[in-house]
Parts: sequence; C-alpha cells; structure tokens
Amino acid sequence: MTEAVFHIRRGGEADDPEERFDRFRVGVRPRMTVLDALVAIQGGEAPSLSYRYSCRVGMCGTCALRVNGRPRWACRTLVEGLGGEVRLEPLAHFPVLRDLAVDMGVFFDKMKRARGWLEPTGEAAREPVRLAPESPERRRIEPHIECITCGICYAACGMVGHDPGYLGPAALNRAFTLVADSRDGAGAERLAEVCGEHGAWRCHSQFNCTEACPKGISPSDAIQALKRRALAEGARALAASVLRGIAPGSGRPAA
Amino acid sequence: MRTRKTDILILGSGGAGLLAALAAHDRAPELDILVAVKGLFGKSGCTRMVQGGYNVALSPGDSAGSHFLDTLEGGAWINDQELAWTLVSRAPDCVRRLETVCGCFFDRNPDGTIHQKAFAGQSFDRTVHKGDLTGIEITNRVSEQLARRGVPVLEEHRAVALLPARGGEKRVAGALLLDIRTGEFLAVNAKCTLLATGGGPTLYRISACAQELSTDGMTIAWEAGAEFCDMEMVQFHPTGILTGEGLQITGTLLEEGLRGAGGHLKNALGERYMARYDAGRMERSTRDVVARAGYTEILEGRGTGRGGVFIDVSHLGREFVWKNFKGMAERCRDLGYDLAGGPVEVTPTAHYMMGGVKIDPACRTGLPGLFAAGEDSGGTHGANRLGGNGVANSTVFGEIAGEAMAAEAAGAPLLPFDPGAARRAEEAALSALGGEGSPYPIRAALKDLMWEKVGLRRTGARLQEAIGEVEALRERAARTRAGGGKAYNLAWQHVLDVRNQLAAAELIARSALERDESRGSHFRDDAPHPRPEGLYNIFMRKEGESFRMERRPVRFTRLRPEAARPAPVSSTVD
Repeated sequence: MTEAVFHIRRGGEADDPEERFDRFRVGVRPRMTVLDALVAIQGGEAPSLSYRYSCRVGMCGTCALRVNGRPRWACRTLVEGLGGEVRLEPLAHFPVLRDLAVDMGVFFDKMKRARGWLEPTGEAAREPVRLAPESPERRRIEPHIECITCGICYAACGMVGHDPGYLGPAALNRAFTLVADSRDGAGAERLAEVCGEHGAWRCHSQFNCTEACPKGISPSDAIQALKRRALAEGARALAASVLRGIAPGSGRPAA
Repeated sequence: MRTRKTDILILGSGGAGLLAALAAHDRAPELDILVAVKGLFGKSGCTRMVQGGYNVALSPGDSAGSHFLDTLEGGAWINDQELAWTLVSRAPDCVRRLETVCGCFFDRNPDGTIHQKAFAGQSFDRTVHKGDLTGIEITNRVSEQLARRGVPVLEEHRAVALLPARGGEKRVAGALLLDIRTGEFLAVNAKCTLLATGGGPTLYRISACAQELSTDGMTIAWEAGAEFCDMEMVQFHPTGILTGEGLQITGTLLEEGLRGAGGHLKNALGERYMARYDAGRMERSTRDVVARAGYTEILEGRGTGRGGVFIDVSHLGREFVWKNFKGMAERCRDLGYDLAGGPVEVTPTAHYMMGGVKIDPACRTGLPGLFAAGEDSGGTHGANRLGGNGVANSTVFGEIAGEAMAAEAAGAPLLPFDPGAARRAEEAALSALGGEGSPYPIRAALKDLMWEKVGLRRTGARLQEAIGEVEALRERAARTRAGGGKAYNLAWQHVLDVRNQLAAAELIARSALERDESRGSHFRDDAPHPRPEGLYNIFMRKEGESFRMERRPVRFTRLRPEAARPAPVSSTVD
C-alpha cells in the first residue's frame, strides 16, 4: 500500500485560533477517494476535524473543497493520481465555519436574487406541458439543468472574488434555464435582474466555472446566452428600468 | 436555553419535509412554518439520491388499482391497505404538482407526454423520471419554491428529543434542537411537529443511504411513546456498487432501471444466477428476491473475491447506456469503470426501512401534535417496497402531512412544553461530550453484527445473539463521551448518531425474532417459507423502561389476497 500525506487547513476560530496546515499520513487503497481519506483521518487521528458530506456519491453537492488548489468534490476525486502530497482547503469565496466546512448561505442568497425558481404561468400552472425532448427549448435547457449547487463554479470564478455582489455562475446558469423555459412567467423581470449591475455583464468569459464544473455544465455558455437575450429584448429599456427599480412585466400577477 | 415558537415544525428536508412545508404554506400562508434539517437544506437525506424514479399511474392503459395491486403483491400482503391506497390514488396529482407548482420537468416521450420507464415487480411501465437523477430534480425544484416563499429554515440543526406539553397533557409540543455548528440548544415550541428525517439503514455494514441519516426521527418518536410497525422489514437493494470494502462509495446504488432495461446479473462463473431463484421474472423480480439471490451466490462461493456479483448492461449498447443512464455511467467512469463496456461489481446493500412510526392516512401518529411522513413512517410498503414507490411515498405523504398540519394548527392553541423534559434532553445530549471516547469502534461493531445477524438471511439463534450484542453496545455507547468542543464537533454528533442507531437496531432485531416465518424482505433460514397465518403486522411501543410487542392481523380493507388476479408478467422495454 502506498501512502499519501494530506495537509489540511484548520484553525482560525475563537477556540482554535492558530490557522495552520495539519499533516496526516494515509494509506492509499485502490479507488480510495479524498472523502475516504477524510473519513479515515477524522475517525482516527483527528476526531475534531470538521468537514461536510452527505450522499457520498456526487448528488448532494456538500463535500466540495479545494484539492491542491482546485475546487472538487471529495467524494468523486480519487487519491491515486493526486501525487503523494495532497493539500485540502475550504472552498474559496465562502465564509469558513470550521476547518473545511463552509457556510453556503451567500451562494443560495444569490440564487434567490436571481429568482432561481420557476414561476409557472398559464397552462403550465395547470397541467404538465406537452413538450418534445427534441424541441429547441428543451435542447437549450437540458445541458444546464442538472446543476447540484455544489458551489464549485462559484469558488472557481475570478469575478466572484473581484465583486462579492456578483451573482456568480450557478445562479446565472439557473436563471438561463428559466429564461429559456416557456412555462415561466417572470421572463422580463428575471432577465432585468440577472443582467443588472452584478449580473451577467460582470462575466468576462474566462471559463473557469466551465472548466471546474464536475457535471460538465457550461455556465459560461448560459451567461453568454443571457447577454444575447438581454440585447435582443432591448438592453437600453431594461437598463433604464433596472435603474428605476421597476422591470417591465412587474405588473404581472404572481403564479 | 433559547426557545422559539412556531405553528408547524418540520424535521427534515427530503421529499417529505419539503413537500410538507410547501403544502402547509400554500394552504395557510399566514402560519409560521419552521424547517429544521440535520444537513444543508434540500441536500440532506435520500430523496436527493433517488435515481430511477417515481411510480405513478398516468397512462390510459394503467390505473391506480393496478398500481395498488402491484404494491400489495410486492409487499407480500401485509401493507396497511389504506396507506397503500392513499399512495397510489394521490400520486398522479402529486407528480403533476411537482411540474405545475414546483417547476420539475420530467423526461418526455417523443410526443411530449411524460415518459415512464420499466422498473421491477410492476405490471406496467409507470416510473416517471428525470434521466437517472430524478431526486436531484425534485429536491432542487421544491427547495427553490420554498426559498421563493421565504419559509424559514434552520440548517445543521438536529432534533434530539420531542417535547411533551407541560402539565401532563398528552400532546407533543415541539422538539429540542441541537445546532451542530455552535453546539447550542434551541427548544422549538410548536402546535404540530412532523417527523420527516428519513429512516436510512446506515446501521448496516453496507448501506445505500446518505451518511447523516441515523434513525433520529424514529428514536425520538420511540422515546416519546409512539407506536411502531413492521420494524423487521428492512429492504436490501441488489446492486450497490462495490469499489472496495469500507470505501464510502461502496453500497451506493446502481439503480433498478438497469435491470428494468434488460441488464443481466452474473456471478463470478458468468452464470445469470437469477434463473435459480425466479426463472420467470429473472432480473426483474422484486428487490427482496434479487438481493437475497445475490447474497446467496456470494455466501455459497460463487461471488467475486471481494464478496460481490456483477451487473452487466454492455449488451444494451454504449449509446443506449450513456443516453439513459448518464449519471451512473459518469460515476462509474470517475471510479475507473466502464458501465457501458462490461460487468461492474456490485453487492446487496441496506437501502430502506419499510417499518417505522405507525400513521393513519392523514399522517397522524397516535401522539396528538405529532405527524410522520416518508421513511420515518411505516406500513405503506408492507414486507417489501417496490422500486419507485419510495419517492412517491415521501412526496405524497409529505403533502398530506402539510395539509393536515395546516388544518390542525389553524385552530389549535400553542401549549407550552415541559421545561423539565427539555433540560433532561439537553443533559442527555451533553452526556455524549466531555471525555476522550470514540464512537467509531461501536459503530463498526454495530454495522458488522447487523449485516451478519440481522441482515438478508436471519435465524432465531443469530437474532438472539444480536439482541444481546446490541444491548452491550448500548451500554458502551451510553458511557462514551467524545472529546473536543461543542462547535461543529463531528465526533460528538456521531456518538449521538450511534446511540440512535442502536435504539433502532434493537427494534429491528426484536421484531425479526418475533416473525418466525419468511416474508418479503424478512428471510429466516430456520423458517424459509411464509406461513398461512403470517398475515399480521408486529407493533411495538415503549412502556416505561421496557416495551410492549403485539401481532395484529392485517386488515384487508380493500382487497383480499385470494381475490387478486395472478401477477401479470411485466412488459419489456423497447
């Protein structure tokens, strides 16, 4: 059995003030993941180590952290192939709760700002719509819909670091799937919000999010599409209405 | 101790908790609703992990009656028929609302209608799905709707006890919560409290469930005196991936759609071993039969060196596999396997608890003020749950619970809770902290003994041993105090977890000993057949420091076994 040395960022808390990297040696077994290493370390040498996971199989999106500087899921990252030295840190751009566990509240607040929910309207609020899987609408949406809100794109995004108010890739990606969805009744309002000061136009198309997404989603493409949509619908009118705080279509009754 | 008042307290944010919160809010927006969840909101629990899908009779050729019969036959006729009927008759509207209210978009047929795929043990292809990651679509979309409505949520708060009303009135008046992040306690005073924490047989060596599930809801309900049913009925899924013993991903599912689509199960000799166990239905037999078959192959030396068998879908074609089972194919790829290219090693894995708190069709437990939905409740599935009936169960009964609580809370007074009980519960939780002890050897011992003695094949003698061993572990766990501080201390939380798991383990083992026959998921080597007189349920309830157990005959309120037609052969997939 080979061995890997894990350097885990810890401390910086009121009751554990010294911020540091603790070292742990872990025997590496075939198909062992970073999550397995964390479980072994916490269950053995470091019972007080704080980290988070739930499903252990890439569905919940709560085990994301930085592995040798890159944001990744602990549960689906094999230790073999990381080299003998592995540095683990909490995700960037999130407040740290303790050790490796972060507070994801800021990320979900931005989902809310982007109105990241369907507002069903018309027939779609009464019956499941008849819509072919090969329709242009679903072909646009499907490559973006399987986001598990793990926060990896948000941690990878340079603009989030630059502008803490920036909605970030995941919220904009969700907004795109809604803007493209004919069932949604919040179209123009949503577009105004996500193409405002801290929205899509902040994106400089560096593709860090797309490169990092473990689901193979391209938030960059979604953001580009939002920009195109905003232009098509009259960027000037939208911008003016955003400044006034009133978006076109805001008189529409809630679904 | 801090306190907080609310009308409705919902414990859990899987399918049951989310739908309950939504239904209660939409029915009575003026009510205060509070959701408390052990992990992160919408990300904790097993609904999220649903791959295959959601059984519902939607097509013209299908009917609720047919779904009902499949559910009873799958459940070996000991289902609570009123719960099963509620499930099948409400599922169509529930799945429609997931689209029309919540914004889900399930997979479609080429004509734009909702696609339904084949699952095992069903007379009709009725499983609605979103690819092979259906649970993510459901939990994401419903969570969003709750965010839209501004329903308050406490994340990383676990319930450590239900709080009785002050002054001896027999009513649950809320719950004591522990904030995992800070280690502080919060007493929530509520008119109605819902158990929706999920069951999750994580107390077995190999398990499919989200790791934080530790039968918390069941344990606090047991302590509060709720009645339980069918605790011996634990479902093992036949195809948990096997990457290596003790690795976290081992035991997580390769879902039933693979078998539904024509996947083959093979032993190490390359034989399609299901021919020995159910030659008619082969791989599409019910989960109890297929899981036990795999276990038997392994036990009798025809498994792989690591204690597995194989699932092989390569003959279905690479394109088909990647198109229909992308989530699984990607997962296998990340782990170094090629699902579309050849056999992948799998193992039976503990998946679901059919037993739980007894409820009526409005999700009422016998304790006023306490409701239960989803895997915390028992009875709907009888002795074996059909694949695809799990998420149907959690969402349908979640909605019902939400509606029932909204109706009840609108008229009910908020009774104060007994502060003495809250203090005692706090002390009990703190008794797991302040030492140098470790929960992990206890947890490992529990998982091993449950797997070997209370698992897929049981005997009276092994169950007796297990009960003794669980008792000894309970004493050890009661003395175990974790080290470290209060804030985000996983070791402390895991001591609390294993104490709860041990409580559920005892109920499972005792109930399994009581049922001296084989039925559905419960198999006894010393009584390998169902008995004609076996159509009963086992009920248990805490009494003082002991408990009461009784058998009650199944009430065939809608259909008697002898009136049922013979099971039709499932249709195959194109």
